[in-house]
Amino acid sequence: MSIKLQDVNYIYGIGTGQEKHALKNINLEINDGEFIGLAGHTGSGKSTLVQLLNGLIRASSGTIYYNGQNIYDKLYNMRSLRSKVGLVFQYPEHQLFETTVVNDVQFGPKNLGLPQLEIELRSFKALKMVGIGDDLLDVSPFALSGGQKRRVAIAGILAMKPEVLVLDEPVAGLDPAGRDEILGLLKKLHNENNITVILVSHSMEDIAKYVDRMLVMNRGEIVLDGKPSKIFCFEKELEKIGLGVPETVKVIHRLQDAGANIIGEPITTEESSEAIYRWLV
Amino acid sequence: MLRDITIGQYYQAESVIHRLDPRVKVIATFIYIISLFCFNQLSGYIIAAFFFYCIVKLSKVPFKFITRGIKPIIFMLIFTAALNLLWTSGEHVLIQYGFITITSEGVKKMVFMALRLIFLIIGSSLMTLTTTPNQLTDAIENLFKPLNKLKVPVHELAMMMSIALRFIPILVEETDKIMKAQLARGADFESGNIIQRVKNMIPIFIPLFVSAARRASDLALAMDARCYHGGEGRTKMKPLKYKRQDILAYFVMFCYICVIVVTGKILPV
Ligand SMILES: Nc1ncnc2c1ncn2[C@@H]1O[C@H](COP(=O)(O)OP(=O)(O)OP(=O)(O)O)[C@@H](O)[C@H]1O
Ligand SMILES: [Mg+2]
Repeated sequence: MSIKLQDVNYIYGIGTGQEKHALKNINLEINDGEFIGLAGHTGSGKSTLVQLLNGLIRASSGTIYYNGQNIYDKLYNMRSLRSKVGLVFQYPEHQLFETTVVNDVQFGPKNLGLPQLEIELRSFKALKMVGIGDDLLDVSPFALSGGQKRRVAIAGILAMKPEVLVLDEPVAGLDPAGRDEILGLLKKLHNENNITVILVSHSMEDIAKYVDRMLVMNRGEIVLDGKPSKIFCFEKELEKIGLGVPETVKVIHRLQDAGANIIGEPITTEESSEAIYRWLV
Repeated sequence: MLRDITIGQYYQAESVIHRLDPRVKVIATFIYIISLFCFNQLSGYIIAAFFFYCIVKLSKVPFKFITRGIKPIIFMLIFTAALNLLWTSGEHVLIQYGFITITSEGVKKMVFMALRLIFLIIGSSLMTLTTTPNQLTDAIENLFKPLNKLKVPVHELAMMMSIALRFIPILVEETDKIMKAQLARGADFESGNIIQRVKNMIPIFIPLFVSAARRASDLALAMDARCYHGGEGRTKMKPLKYKRQDILAYFVMFCYICVIVVTGKILPV
């Protein structure tokens, strides 16, 4: 099972005189069970790329295969693809509309045509997973705080039990505790249910901590693809395209430049402090 | 799908027409539209078409863009054309079939009416394509200033118009985004009968209204924070000022009127 993109291009506003080549010749294979981080400065095409993955927009050229099937085939069931590839949009709190939190989460599963019992079970479980307490279930979603709304919106997608979960900046604007909670939840879902997770993020720290594979985009192209520890070796290149590396990696690089004999490629805070400790003693 | 809406769309280009004072463009468009309804011979339309062609060439806007404005009114166009064709009585009957009578006067009227509508639409779209919404409201505010004496709140109306114009593309984009977000949750906007379809739109409308209200209150707050207090004593960053090219443009319009009047007198058709 995989998602495969072949020579995919996407151009906004074809025929309006203000064409914008947002994705250029993307070739990419996403394997089952990967936890992928997608980074890139603003306007590099991340949101465009993730919308292609569940067929919300159609590539201007090129093909996309989901589990080996061409999703642009006439007979391909696009709606079923959308339920298999769950997409949490940037600022998902803006899509809430129901009268109560529970009803809103049930919207997705209902559209899948599941039996009522299953719908309720899934939505309660999803709300619990994202940390929405029982006291908020019957509250209007518009009465929640921004962070709580975000969680409800994420629960709305989780309740559909997608095979691939794509999240566009899910933790932007959350407090550090909330951020760790949501990202920890994704990690847990990935480990326990073996779902594929694609996480769009500006935060190199988050990416370093959680993902196995990292994609870096610049001006509509994927310029780097690999393990975070490998990609962070390209500190200069990353800075040139408006990104950076986690502070800890910077410290390690400076120490190494100064001649410190630090072995390995530590990226998270814990790994780095341990590596420095080992070097010191 | 929603991006086909072209109301108030601006086409960025570097041209004489783009640089003209917006007041000139508003008045010239007005004169042009009135001229369309004043003549009754084919020669008038040929002159109008030729004149329009020259302006479009000068404006560097591709024809594709201008004719796109016709698409949304094509039904209205056919409808008015049919009405004119069937309801005009005359002496030269061409076809008589049951209660349908088509006269040569009807055909003539139909052609003229259709031409008028088409020129009207493409003429005004050329104005909006070459004038930014801000310039346009500036011009309108300036031109209607005399109404201030009659206690008409011209500045406020112009401000409302410019905000509304400014928000059209934002709301279109927002609708697009919300629609996609609900599609990702398995929403279906394409099947079902009409009542079902309207019901299916609820997940789009509610978030859209909520966000429009939020934007409006944010904007009101931001305007307040910048001490906006209406038009009184307000100065412009870019005051409108006529330049040589604007005077020249008025002169061109004057010549256009003269040509139309003179040919109307000389040529019989
Ligand atoms: N609806 C649209 N119409 C026209 N151009 C668009 C549209 N959406 C995005 N673009 C353009 O396509 C490019 C890629 O946009 P995209 O939203 O994919 O960027 P992004 O990487 O998600 O940025 P961010 O980090 O700010 O969310 C940008 O240059 C943007 O201006
Ligand atoms: Mg984005």
